[in-house]
Amino acid sequence: MNLIQNLIRRLLLMIPMSIGITLLLFVVTHIVPVNPLAVILTERSMDDPEAVAAATQKWGLDKPLPEQYIIYLGNLLQGDLGVSFKTKNPVASDLKDFLPATIELSICSFIFAILIGLPLGIISAYKSGSFIDQVTRVISLLGASMPPFWSGLLILFVFYYKLGWAPGPGRINPRIGAPESVTGLFVFDSLLKGNMPAFWNSLSHLVLPSIILGWFTLALISRITRSSMLEVLSQDYIRTARAKGLSEKWVILKHALRNALIPLVTLVGLAFAGLMSGAIMTETIFSWPGIGRYAVESAANLDYPAITGTTLLIAIIYMLVNIFVDALYTIIDPRIREG
Amino acid sequence: MKLNRVFPFVMLVVLLAGVLAGCGSPATSAPNPTGGTGAATEPVVAPTEPPVAAAGGTLIIAMNLDDVVTLDPAYAGETTNLFIHINTYDTLVDIRPEDLNTIVPRLAESWDVNPDFTEFVFHLRKDAKFASGNPVTAADVVFSWNRLLNVAGAPAFNLDGVGKVEAVDDYTVKVSTTVGDDGKAQPLPQFLSSACNPSLGIQDSKLVKEHGGTDAKDAATTDKAKEWLDQNSAGSGPFVLTRWSPKADIELTANKNYWKGTPKFDKVVITHVSDPTTQLQMLEKGDADMIGNLQTDLVDQAKANPDLTISVDQSLDENYLAMAYKCPDVIKTEKPEVFTTLQSPDSFAIMCKKEVRQAVAYAIDYEGITKAVLNGYGTRAPSIIPIGIIGVDSSKTQGRDLAKAKELLTAAGYPNGVTFDLYYASNATRDTVAAKIKNDLAEAGITLNLKPLEQSVYLTQMRAQQLPMAFGGWTPDYLDVTMWTDYFGLGDRSIAFRMWFQNADANKLATEIRTTSDPAIRKADVEKLQAVFMEEMPFTMLYQVQYVHAFRSDLKGFKFHPVWFVDLFSLSK
Repeated sequence: MNLIQNLIRRLLLMIPMSIGITLLLFVVTHIVPVNPLAVILTERSMDDPEAVAAATQKWGLDKPLPEQYIIYLGNLLQGDLGVSFKTKNPVASDLKDFLPATIELSICSFIFAILIGLPLGIISAYKSGSFIDQVTRVISLLGASMPPFWSGLLILFVFYYKLGWAPGPGRINPRIGAPESVTGLFVFDSLLKGNMPAFWNSLSHLVLPSIILGWFTLALISRITRSSMLEVLSQDYIRTARAKGLSEKWVILKHALRNALIPLVTLVGLAFAGLMSGAIMTETIFSWPGIGRYAVESAANLDYPAITGTTLLIAIIYMLVNIFVDALYTIIDPRIREG
Repeated sequence: MKLNRVFPFVMLVVLLAGVLAGCGSPATSAPNPTGGTGAATEPVVAPTEPPVAAAGGTLIIAMNLDDVVTLDPAYAGETTNLFIHINTYDTLVDIRPEDLNTIVPRLAESWDVNPDFTEFVFHLRKDAKFASGNPVTAADVVFSWNRLLNVAGAPAFNLDGVGKVEAVDDYTVKVSTTVGDDGKAQPLPQFLSSACNPSLGIQDSKLVKEHGGTDAKDAATTDKAKEWLDQNSAGSGPFVLTRWSPKADIELTANKNYWKGTPKFDKVVITHVSDPTTQLQMLEKGDADMIGNLQTDLVDQAKANPDLTISVDQSLDENYLAMAYKCPDVIKTEKPEVFTTLQSPDSFAIMCKKEVRQAVAYAIDYEGITKAVLNGYGTRAPSIIPIGIIGVDSSKTQGRDLAKAKELLTAAGYPNGVTFDLYYASNATRDTVAAKIKNDLAEAGITLNLKPLEQSVYLTQMRAQQLPMAFGGWTPDYLDVTMWTDYFGLGDRSIAFRMWFQNADANKLATEIRTTSDPAIRKADVEKLQAVFMEEMPFTMLYQVQYVHAFRSDLKGFKFHPVWFVDLFSLSK
């Protein structure tokens, strides 16, 4: 009951936080001393006073800032994020176009990072100092230190260009074309419609970018799992468990892992949100039509509504993940619930 | 107890599913080809279709599509749009890559222009049909151009100076120019060239209206066709737009009704790949038949592959250095409100001396820049008017002459050197070029301070006439000499205005070029204007780009067009 109440309270708190974020963004973006008309209009129509006046009025730039903000907030409450200066589309519809690609890639990278990172962390803790521990260390170091714009190009060069094992950039082979859209997630949609060529093709297109995007998270997970496991394995209750004659597998997976999970959950939650927002380089290298490119371009163009829209979306994702992680703690560790 | 252990994992699965369902569901309206009007084709991908069947029927082009933000010709103003529009919409008149100085018929069979260039009458061909099957009539021309004007989007400037578009009969359109303050219609000699711009392609008025389009005066707020035109086209061109996924791909399908004949490819997919190396890899692997521009440092790799053909093409895209023409004291009296906002007023005071501007032009190692930035794939015209334009004599191009640069600096009163600021919108190429220029000028005794800016800040300051020295680029929208003489020669226009270049001789010549279509007069005037530019030196051209294109050798008919890249209709395998 306590958990539910807490959840509701946290969810409600998101509203003032979101408003705070929009206020902060609004102030920051408007401090920058440039003229947004430069984005709205073209090079040549900037010379036309009539066009400048019309655009200023149409986009509400002639109103005082507080009024502009109140108007924005009013629209936001009705789910209207405004219209992008650059694309001239509603920001909400732009985000709808780009979000599925990002979600698909983030989930895949996340699964990759957990499936590989967690076992590697456990094994290297259990066999600390062994050959496999060293290998894991190297993999983690590479993941943490290689910039994706370099490792991405390298992996494409080797596995696509030289070996031909993996497909090239993009979400699907252009000769096959995107599957009929239901959710915008190609793998899911093609499966739903029974379009198997599109399913396998889009799945294979996910492999390389997921490895590149997930590698850093994998490194984090395996390192934290290792150190957390090492700490737990030296505890008295593990010795007790072993002394009881429990099998080693049981001791590691049930007694040690569960207790080692707590710091990991925090990390994994933030890492997932990070994957959603941190894919800009990977998206660029793999021509992945995700939200990262949109965010960067809107910032470069000083496209106020688009900047606010994407930032708000990413902030909400972070907040939701945080709430979820907190809820997860109380389930893993009852002491937190009571405290 | 047991449930407690499993629960976290169940929660995790639920979270993933929740993210899938929750965030995924709004995407149901994502790009999806529809053929609702009978105009466009059926949805493209039938789920049961075999993967790579009939590959010969599909042309794949890998290029950077980052600039595409809309595909509605009334809104779209980016470079890639020109390429997409010319292949989906027909213009009335055309300029072929074989001869850039001659205008040829397209949807218009013939046209009459009055001697003052104030009235243009187009006679449309009668056999042309839109992809929808509707005939192309004068009413469609009127609708398309009025919609463009009234929506007032990015490409509306192509109709600057056009006052009225009216249908004389079903197949005759009359265009009159705007009436000036003197009560007379203003001459618009470049209009035929502008009419070749893909943004002026003709839309099927019936179809666009069905989807909420309007050409009314208040179209800027009442036109609702953009959403539909982003995913479909309503033209009579060789291809029909059937899908656009932003930052992913653009799919075109052959227009079987095309009045010039059936296109050789059933489908063209232009897929977005931003990295040039990856583009070339796709081409080499056969995953693409053609790519956008080949980066010049990759040319050797492409040449080494016998399956690829390379084409080096002269473009009219240029990069220039602009130098303020007026001194701060003059600016202070003329425009006190701008004077107080000038960036680096000290640099203005130096730049406004003719000898200094000439010295800069003589001090730059142009060959070195072309080699460093373009690997040699570039050339240079004598003034800001590029090679390929009538009247431009490339033999007059002046290269580097350090002794002369120093001499000029001494004449200007700076025998011991001088220091000023160069402003530019920072990117990798410009940073390299600016650093090179800084080095070159240092050899002549000039200390150049580089002031790289964010693109939007640079544009804002340049438009407000605040920069003493700027580094910019110019890409033509139409192939008429006024594309350069107007904007660089007329003191109240664009770049000339921003850099305070108000020169009586240049104004007179540029105005005369604007008001005549006599090629002999234009040629003579361009020659004279070129001489004025070289003497006054408000701009020095740094380089004119040559583009390198690469495609699979089995692709036939490639011919580069300096405005819209390539006509897909002429391509075959």
